[in-house]
Amino acid sequence: MSTDNDIIRRSRDSPAVFGELYDRHASVIYRYAARRAGDFAADDVTSETFLVVWEQLETYDLDREDARPWLFGIATNLLRRHHRAEAKILKTAAKAASREAVADDSDRIAARVDAVVATGRIARTLKAMAAIDRETLLLYAWADLTYEGIALAMDVPLGTVRSRLNRARRTLRTQLNLEILDETENDHERLAAAPRNA
Amino acid sequence: MNDLQLLREMRSDVGSASPTTLARGRNKLMSKISSDSRPEATTTHAPATVLPIFRRRVLMASAAAALLVGGIVVAEVVRPSPGAIAEAAEVLNDAAAATIQTSDPVVGPGQYLKIDTTSVYAAGVLLGDDPKAARRTVEWLDKYSDHLYIPSDQTAEWIWNREARIPTTFFSEDAKAEATKYQQSQAGDPTRMGELLRAPGGNFYGEQRMLFAGLPLAEGVKTLPRDPQALLDTIRQLDNPDRSEAETLESIAAALQTGVVPADLRAALYKAAALIPGVTVVDREANLDGKAGTAIGIEDPDRGTRMDIIIDPATGLLIGQRKVTLTAGETFPAGTATGWTSVQTSVVNSAP
Repeated sequence: MSTDNDIIRRSRDSPAVFGELYDRHASVIYRYAARRAGDFAADDVTSETFLVVWEQLETYDLDREDARPWLFGIATNLLRRHHRAEAKILKTAAKAASREAVADDSDRIAARVDAVVATGRIARTLKAMAAIDRETLLLYAWADLTYEGIALAMDVPLGTVRSRLNRARRTLRTQLNLEILDETENDHERLAAAPRNA
Repeated sequence: MNDLQLLREMRSDVGSASPTTLARGRNKLMSKISSDSRPEATTTHAPATVLPIFRRRVLMASAAAALLVGGIVVAEVVRPSPGAIAEAAEVLNDAAAATIQTSDPVVGPGQYLKIDTTSVYAAGVLLGDDPKAARRTVEWLDKYSDHLYIPSDQTAEWIWNREARIPTTFFSEDAKAEATKYQQSQAGDPTRMGELLRAPGGNFYGEQRMLFAGLPLAEGVKTLPRDPQALLDTIRQLDNPDRSEAETLESIAAALQTGVVPADLRAALYKAAALIPGVTVVDREANLDGKAGTAIGIEDPDRGTRMDIIIDPATGLLIGQRKVTLTAGETFPAGTATGWTSVQTSVVNSAP
């Protein structure tokens, strides 16, 4: 099976080959965009992403086998045009969990956080978060990119990805009352990014 | 369940494109790219020409969001406030008076303000991957020390010596075993195993140093109101609208323990803390990391914890802060300080 860079190399000479890249990745780009901004935006973002990719084909670093960070980077930029749709989705999700339900969340153990309430809180937190932090977090959780992948996608150093993710996850965990389980360091505004599940 | 799992589940039921949608998109794409030939590299749209527009839009969107959040906070916090119980208010106001008489350490050229912090944090692992099956939390306490060297010119290079985080307190053998396992799994992570960092202006990890959420340290020191009520209102607006009073006190403690808050702002922060409803004197002789002081606390019923700040009544300096469990949990007995931080400030002539 050919790798992404093979496809890209060959499609520089033959547009028909470019379709393979679409076939391989369009559904994950669509899904990512739809989760963030809904189907209408996803349709738009997916076609636009591949058009931009086509236009920028010469700029692709052929040493990279996996084109997903590049594709998600472009899709992320394009999604910024749909920030209203995204905000609307998050607002609706936030409303789904009532404040009464949240107030009942007295248990400090993370395992018992009610999923519905959590969704509402997550939505509210994502909405309030700086766009770059939200994008970093969602590229990690929804697009399944690695730290390195996110660094490529957002064109920032690895350390920046790490600190943005730390910040975003810390905010999220605070909102979810997961602070006991986690390793909160509020003294110097940072947090070790360690997986919770041993 | 952890934050990432919860996040991954969110909207996981939406977004799969139907084959028809994908086929339609493919046809549209392929007809476009075959009709006009692909531009050469020299004429491609460089991301730099596209980005500024996006960036401006995003900035405007976040500014709007910030305004909205600010509005909500104001609406929620403006209510009759009984203030702290009289005794606690007195201690805090005395601390404010003392702190003004305590001169801030003078850091001469070539010298550093050194802030030694010792902390204990709750750490834990969640065992079991199946969200439907019974899951178990195993927790323990980590101890961690760090030493921050701030140059006399605060825009110059700061040095931060972070020591390893060591699992130290266990309430079961099980916790000890899991802590050891976890510690071993983190052996390659410098944020856990210790590191020596340098950054101009203290912007470690490429992040600006914050005094409160969204407020950079230097700016905060300069611009925060010194009027206690105005200061408290500002802190509440900067923070999240859903925060409890305990969390407001926590934010104040975090600001105080940066070690670089000048006396006038420190005094205002104590007076602001005295205005938080429900703040009481918890312990006249609280001992934290070998130092004794007056503990002022507030309960957070939602979390089953109490947040304390501990003050040296003689100097008005913050000794540290702690979070104490009110009820017994799965692993921690009631009354456990599941997190505390003690701070000490000095002036030194050299840094590592």
